[in-house]
Amino acid sequence: MQTELSIRWHRFRYLLAVALCLLTTLGTLPFRDLLNVANIVMLFLLTVFVAAVWLGRGPSILATFLSVALFDFFFVLPHLSFEVADVQYLVTFAVMLAVGLTTSHLAARLAEQTEEARARERDTRVLYELARDLGGAMSLDQVADITRRFLGKLNLDVTLLIAESSVAGSAFHQVGKRHLSELEQNFVRSAYERHTIIETDSLAGMGVAIVFLPLNAPTQVRGVLAIGSPTGDVDSVRSLRPLLEAVASLVAIILERLHYADAARHSELQVTAERLRTSILSSLSHDLRTPLTSLVGLSDSLTQIQPPLPEGAIETAGIIRDQAHAMYHLLSNLLEMARMQAGKITLNREWQPFEEIVGSSTRLLAGVLASYQLEIDAPTDLPLLYFDAVLLERVVCNLLENAAKYSPDGARIQLTARIRGPFFEAAVCNEGPGFPEERIAQVFDLFVRGEREPAVAGTGMGLAICKAIVTAHGGTIVAENRPGGACVRFTLPLGSPPPMEEEAQT
Amino acid sequence: MNAAKMRVLVVEDEPQIRRFICGAVRKEDCAAIEAGTARQGLDEAAQGEIGLVILDLGLPDMEGIDFIRDLRTWSQVPILILSARTAEQDKIAALDAGADDYLSKPFGVGELLARMRVLLRRHGQSGEARPQHNFGDIAVDLSRRIVSRGGVEIHLTQIEYRLLAVMLANEDKVMTHRQLMQEVWGPGHAEQGHYLRVYVGRLRQKLEQDPAQPQHFLTETGVGYRFQS
Repeated sequence: MQTELSIRWHRFRYLLAVALCLLTTLGTLPFRDLLNVANIVMLFLLTVFVAAVWLGRGPSILATFLSVALFDFFFVLPHLSFEVADVQYLVTFAVMLAVGLTTSHLAARLAEQTEEARARERDTRVLYELARDLGGAMSLDQVADITRRFLGKLNLDVTLLIAESSVAGSAFHQVGKRHLSELEQNFVRSAYERHTIIETDSLAGMGVAIVFLPLNAPTQVRGVLAIGSPTGDVDSVRSLRPLLEAVASLVAIILERLHYADAARHSELQVTAERLRTSILSSLSHDLRTPLTSLVGLSDSLTQIQPPLPEGAIETAGIIRDQAHAMYHLLSNLLEMARMQAGKITLNREWQPFEEIVGSSTRLLAGVLASYQLEIDAPTDLPLLYFDAVLLERVVCNLLENAAKYSPDGARIQLTARIRGPFFEAAVCNEGPGFPEERIAQVFDLFVRGEREPAVAGTGMGLAICKAIVTAHGGTIVAENRPGGACVRFTLPLGSPPPMEEEAQT
Repeated sequence: MNAAKMRVLVVEDEPQIRRFICGAVRKEDCAAIEAGTARQGLDEAAQGEIGLVILDLGLPDMEGIDFIRDLRTWSQVPILILSARTAEQDKIAALDAGADDYLSKPFGVGELLARMRVLLRRHGQSGEARPQHNFGDIAVDLSRRIVSRGGVEIHLTQIEYRLLAVMLANEDKVMTHRQLMQEVWGPGHAEQGHYLRVYVGRLRQKLEQDPAQPQHFLTETGVGYRFQS
């Protein structure tokens, strides 16, 4: 509709130019004898000038030629004829033509520049409005909505496709009414992957979107803007391309902002949850450990009271002390497990010999291991390993404790360490009934124990904790039976220990 | 020291734990001075002759480490800290700040008394140099720089010898990795903790009966080492 109107206006301008020239002629005719010829020429030039400013380039060129013709016909002797009596007039005609054409060119260019400036200003204003609206957008839907409303005013059809950050490159979250065809989705994908604008002029007639603009944000491409025209008007879309590119980068920046705002909110939430968990664990740990510490200490002081209590009372106090100790141990395991299950284990790793752990573990468990034969088989030239000593000591202690728990008094318990391929491997083996074959794969699961109805005290947390710790170190742990007993083996990666300068021998 | 009883300051916020610690202190024929908060503890310490401070690291009104730093600005009294087994970093920080030893909760009266005696004895004999040391079947004569087993000299490198001397000088006391590195290698080597571990391993190889189950050069896992004869 709009185009029809403009075509009609286009034709009408030429008519107006003709009319202007005729009007000038008619207006000047009565004064033909009074006015100097030079002044009449001026009047015609004025007409051309008016036509140029008002009607544009084409009509003013028409007006120039028409003016020269009319001037010749009505005002140059002989009147009412194109013949020229004085050859001098040919110069006049030439000057008229030259001045008229130049005027129309200059005036028309001025008009065009004004129009361009106006258009630019309009673009800037609408972009500013868009930026202002998008600035307040809090969700993807709002962004899509604002963009659609904005480009809708320009009679464009918009589909916003946002790349799913989890699945890079292949999936898009589409915001928009229109369902994109398979072909269009291919265009979207290649615009996204190649970071280039894709135009599909030749396919415009098929109802395909005309321009696919990648949304290039500072850190990555956030998605694609597919722009079509309901009327299939390729030219108007093309003429708007600078504006569309500006819109695309604006949308991209807003999407980036939303993305980071979202990420910030998410991590804040995580931090809060983490803090809450840590504070619950530490207050639980404090509140439960404190009375147990009192119990251990107070019952222990009963056994040493002076003068001594009756023998039975001392024995009872000793049992209370040992039970409180056991409960403390159990509680520590539980809290440790809770901490490991809830999140990452923070490793405090250092390069150190594995031997240190062997020594400290056997010393810690001296009481438990006293009634067994402990055999340690570890070469003295093992390389340094990179591990958290406290946690790995926990692993070795748990394994030794387990080995003792499930073997008869006086039995052998073996602790071996060696290099196997790219790994360090340690194993704790005992002489006992071994793991029940059908459940050997699950012994590292939380609260699973070797026996169905256990005769030995324990919670089934020991091996689960071992596995969590070893896994955090990048190692593996397996349980297996061997003739006459069971073994638990774990590995640690060897890595490359830091260099050591040897001191000069003296 | 014989006329008046040794005064031991017990800074612990849990009354039940304080109760049995004080009981143990009195059993050792010392006077127990109780403090439920760090502030109160510092006030008591400022008032008079204290022979030993037993400090719980988990006090409600002040970080244990600040207490130690405060106290250390004007007093060299031995400090024994009490802390949960898992809190290695807290222990290291407290030891580096000037605490002398630690005890992991829960602990029995026997362990507490053993640690107390060591600290009181060390404090009593401070300044007294002892050139001869014997542990296991090893004899060390620091004045002659000789280390021997059954009369046969054992060769130690310079660093091994220096490490041995530092550990002997701090017998029964836990030394953090940082403290040992500082004493043996000097400042600026804190990042090379593996040196220390390797050299302790070598001392064990040379001086322990069974290096895999050391009896003298003990590992305080995650914290440091302790020498005991």
